[in-house]
Amino acid sequence: MKPESLKHDSAIKHVTGQSVYVNDMDVSPLQLISRVVYSPVAHGLIKSLDISEALKVEGVAAILTAKDIPGANQMGPVIHDEPCLADTEVIFIGQAILLIAAETEEIAIEAERLVRIEFEELDAVLSLREAIEKNLLIAPPRYIMNGNAEDALKKAPFTFDGELETGAQEHWYLETQSALAVPGEGKEMLVYASSQNPAETQAIVAEVLGVPKNEVDVEVRRMGGAFGGKETQANHVAAWAALLANATKRPVKIHLFRDDDQKITGKRHRFLSKYSIGFDETGNILAYKVELNSDAGSSTDLSRAILERAMFHAENAYYIPDISITGKAFKTNLPSNTAFRGFGGPQGMAVIENAIDRIARFLKKEPAEIRKLNFYGIDRDNLAPYGKVIENNRLHIIFDRLVNSSGYYTRRSEIESFNRQNKYLKRGMAMTPVKFGISFTTAFLNQAGALVNIYKDGTVQVNHGGTEMGQGLYTKICGVAAAELGISPDFIKVTATNTSKVPNTSATAASSGSDLNGMAVKNAIDTLRERLIPVAKAELAGAGVADVHHGSLCFKDNRVFLDISPEVSIRFQDLIQAAYFSRVSLSSTGFYKTPGIHFDRETGKGNPFYYFAYGMAVSEVQADVLTGEYKLLRSDILHDVGDSLNENIDIGQVEGGFIQGVGWCTTEEIKWDNKGRLLTHSPDTYKIPTINEMPLVFNVEFLRDHPNEGTIRKSKAVGEPPLMLAFSVWLAIKDAISAVGNHEFEPDFSLPATAEVVLLSIEEIQKKI
Amino acid sequence: MNGSKQTIRFLLNDRLIELDFNDNSEFKPTTTVLNYLRSLPFHKGVKEGCAEGDCGACTVVIAENQGGKLIYKTIDSCLVFLPMLHGKQLITVEHLADGDELHPVQQAMVDHNGSQCGYCTPGIVMSLFGLYKNQHHPSTEVIQDALTGNLCRCTGYRPIADAATSACKGEGVDKFTPAETESLYILKKLNSDQGLIELHTSSQQYYKPFTLTDALECRQKHPDALITGGSTDVALRQTKRRELLGKIIDISDVDELKSLDEQEDAFRIGSGVTLERLLHFSGSRLPALHDMLKIFGSLQIRNLATIGGNIGSASPIGDTLPLLIAYMAKIKLQSLNEERSCKLDDFITGYRSTDLRQDELITEIFIPKPSTGRIIRSYKVSRRKDLDISTVSAGFSMLTVNGTVSEMILAYGGMAAKPARAIKTEAFLTGKPWTEATVQEAMDILIKEFTPLSDARANADYRSLVARNLLIKFFEESKGQVL
Repeated sequence: MKPESLKHDSAIKHVTGQSVYVNDMDVSPLQLISRVVYSPVAHGLIKSLDISEALKVEGVAAILTAKDIPGANQMGPVIHDEPCLADTEVIFIGQAILLIAAETEEIAIEAERLVRIEFEELDAVLSLREAIEKNLLIAPPRYIMNGNAEDALKKAPFTFDGELETGAQEHWYLETQSALAVPGEGKEMLVYASSQNPAETQAIVAEVLGVPKNEVDVEVRRMGGAFGGKETQANHVAAWAALLANATKRPVKIHLFRDDDQKITGKRHRFLSKYSIGFDETGNILAYKVELNSDAGSSTDLSRAILERAMFHAENAYYIPDISITGKAFKTNLPSNTAFRGFGGPQGMAVIENAIDRIARFLKKEPAEIRKLNFYGIDRDNLAPYGKVIENNRLHIIFDRLVNSSGYYTRRSEIESFNRQNKYLKRGMAMTPVKFGISFTTAFLNQAGALVNIYKDGTVQVNHGGTEMGQGLYTKICGVAAAELGISPDFIKVTATNTSKVPNTSATAASSGSDLNGMAVKNAIDTLRERLIPVAKAELAGAGVADVHHGSLCFKDNRVFLDISPEVSIRFQDLIQAAYFSRVSLSSTGFYKTPGIHFDRETGKGNPFYYFAYGMAVSEVQADVLTGEYKLLRSDILHDVGDSLNENIDIGQVEGGFIQGVGWCTTEEIKWDNKGRLLTHSPDTYKIPTINEMPLVFNVEFLRDHPNEGTIRKSKAVGEPPLMLAFSVWLAIKDAISAVGNHEFEPDFSLPATAEVVLLSIEEIQKKI
Repeated sequence: MNGSKQTIRFLLNDRLIELDFNDNSEFKPTTTVLNYLRSLPFHKGVKEGCAEGDCGACTVVIAENQGGKLIYKTIDSCLVFLPMLHGKQLITVEHLADGDELHPVQQAMVDHNGSQCGYCTPGIVMSLFGLYKNQHHPSTEVIQDALTGNLCRCTGYRPIADAATSACKGEGVDKFTPAETESLYILKKLNSDQGLIELHTSSQQYYKPFTLTDALECRQKHPDALITGGSTDVALRQTKRRELLGKIIDISDVDELKSLDEQEDAFRIGSGVTLERLLHFSGSRLPALHDMLKIFGSLQIRNLATIGGNIGSASPIGDTLPLLIAYMAKIKLQSLNEERSCKLDDFITGYRSTDLRQDELITEIFIPKPSTGRIIRSYKVSRRKDLDISTVSAGFSMLTVNGTVSEMILAYGGMAAKPARAIKTEAFLTGKPWTEATVQEAMDILIKEFTPLSDARANADYRSLVARNLLIKFFEESKGQVL
């Protein structure tokens, strides 16, 4: 099978139930189960804590509190502001206070019931508005600007101000947070984690145990979904399991119950954004001033980087000459919000997309035209607010092709006629673009390592720092290795990610998994090939090739030969055998760092991205004016993945990311009560898309014939960008609402656009008619 | 009661399992099938995703003898107690492949790239297996219905739907086909003894009768026991609230409660009829009920949940209740010595409370055949259309004479502590011409008639608006049908 059409490397194991997740592992009959006891109050002081009765329950092996932590009581990934276990103060509902290890889950639950903790409740900040009013910043505000937005707004023929709320989103990985910690001899600890960032899991575990990192190994074979939710917060369960394993000297497993996972862990940051936008009568955007305010939750986690990415995507695909972007992250008494596919990008983009929609309605023009008018130019109008020139711009070609393939304008007039004929059903359509910056905006994270071992029988093990969360990274890496070694993927095994094989890796995040690790693997293979050249030439000479001093060596179809004499070749396995006997090392590390990435946070200028991924979507919905419910009728997507590393996998990323975005934009609403208790703590009330949320017609295409120079096999990253294509659905819903008032009135709108939001918005319009 | 048994017997794939329950047993009577499987070696394919029947990661298939035929049903194993397996075959994902040869549904999932992280995949494969055995050349609608109960967070579902289409083209023949005769034979043998199963441990008593007499006798002897049919509601008390369910009477295998027939003037529905069977039965007979059941839970839930259970739990958001009130349904309540019939409307007395006496069981539901000209509609508004609990639901029934309303029932769910009728609005509309103007006036009355709550699903003002607007929706849909 061709490397670029490989099936997911675990597909057969998935469908037969043989793929192993952390919660499926029983490593020893001594293995214990753990429960995490967490705060039921959003803010308070722990007045007393009594575990004496709980400890008496037969089968309880250990109960740990903050005082029992041998190392640092800390698990903040960037800023150390996140205690591992609450000591004297609790700052959100779901914050871990103590850990129980027991023989069975039932015993652990029984013990939990006997734990007595008394709190003195303190005032809690539970709304983002309140946090903004009280100016509870987690860090100084950040700015990115170009030109003079204030002046330009004053001069602009038209301006308006606005506010947009975008909601939180629960990751809802099917596999909840899990870890299994296995103590070794002395201080050794092996952790089987479900983590996007094994190196950081290793660091946090070492820190709470108070041991050096070289005593801790972390292994991740696969995750049952992650979506950013296991970038930092998988460290928590790993640290807790390791503390208990260390205390009991027995393996300890934690697998959070669904409701606990939803209550304890952070979500996509909700934002409250304020903007002013200035434009002229044709729809040219002249000035944009936006303040992006995010709810960081109770600690920093990745909130700064997420806010930064929101700021980098505030203008999305549009050139705005005078622009001012302010970013502020605020502290509240909720679980610390964290990475989620798009990492702030969606929250930044939503504001400008909604504002453009307003401009079009105000000018009574076709919104797609206003978008096109404002796209970054190819040769001019191509400077991003942070001072990077946008190169290899694919916006215009994608727009032209998609307008055509989706039948956009024909359907627009069909929709208008449908809406004239129907009083209680309204249709809406929208086309929205995505321009998403690829690279970690923290420059040093853009590095990756790999380890490639070739064994004497010619089979290969590939290890790299990336983790498999379902996105098909292992499969893509296998494809890269097969292509670079010129051998069948059947001879290659990509092994579980392990900190002892490749150290000091970055999280598998920022869509960068295959970009970074693919290059690192290629680098390792390049080294091995170099070492194999002399052996190969000797072998080829022995096989009768007269001139082995010219031409270059080719690795193809499991054979090795010189391009000038392809008729004589040797088998790859035979070459490896020969290399072994010639005492050539058949193991190599590889390394990669993305070139040219830098950004100055003080000036707000630099080159934070290696390149951009582009995509566009057109979606059409039908809304029920009487209930606010709606149905997604059709979505057409054209997405840019460069030369795809694997189309089977990339199409899955585009479709899956899109539907996940649709969930965020529509039915996935998170609610807390006035005490800070999560009301939507299980799938009973938190509604992610089912199969019925798929568009009735769903056309997904790649932008072909546009290779991406300078990346692994000319591919592009694909993990996050498609999520934001869902704005087409969100704004199609708004278009349908707007049709109720014949597009005369700007609908009240927010995200998610639940049926409730839609109906209340329709009700407001009907009052104005 | 004679010849009671202390063990249960079932087929785990092709292996006969006998479990007894006492204080030394590894399992409790209420151990769920999910937890049972996951405790066994080589059966960890089945996953827990939510422990409440909302995600389908734990989907397994149960095969049972129905009229001499082996019927395959997908269910959520997190909601099913072990004794409910008695006399049935439990089929798990590990058993589908024939050696190295994948089952057609597994192969289709591989071919269509239907898995990404793989965690939901075993459950999806089992739903596809159920579809494969039950449907040949299924429509998109049937495929989507079979998969509604399986959440996948990675794929966006398109490749899974494609896998279903391509795998289910044949006649459902597979490695199970030749083994069916033997499986049936074993199951029949397991079911030949209809004696009560009584499982006792020091903390639990679980009674599983197979006859109505035994069931009523259990009920009389143990008035404090929970009654469970499909267990989709009762199981949550254990899996979510971590309650120890001390006493249970499991009536899921009382055949007398499973009758379903059409009489001259009414439909008679046994309380143990599953919502999936009722969905198929209602079809053209009770179209409003059919509409409601189509979006009730998921196939895995409907294969378990019973109509008697939905009524008995008397939830203010029970999907079928407002509609059954609109149908003027009556229920039959039986005890060992007595039986009585009761209007559903009167039976539900408050928030999750009913008029059920301590020795009674709901045994039958009667739905009178709607008279000619009566217009009956059901509505369910929820945040997500499928596999969601209603924000507002409604059952409306109207009779008109010469364009004038002569009878009106407006029953709502989600608007009060119990399913409730809009009495004032009904009274206002009765005797009035059925025109848009009247309906507009009625809407103003209706919106004041209820004071619903704000909760996780929606705010009160949205509920009120929807309840009001459903009237005009009803008016629109009644156009051309009013006598």
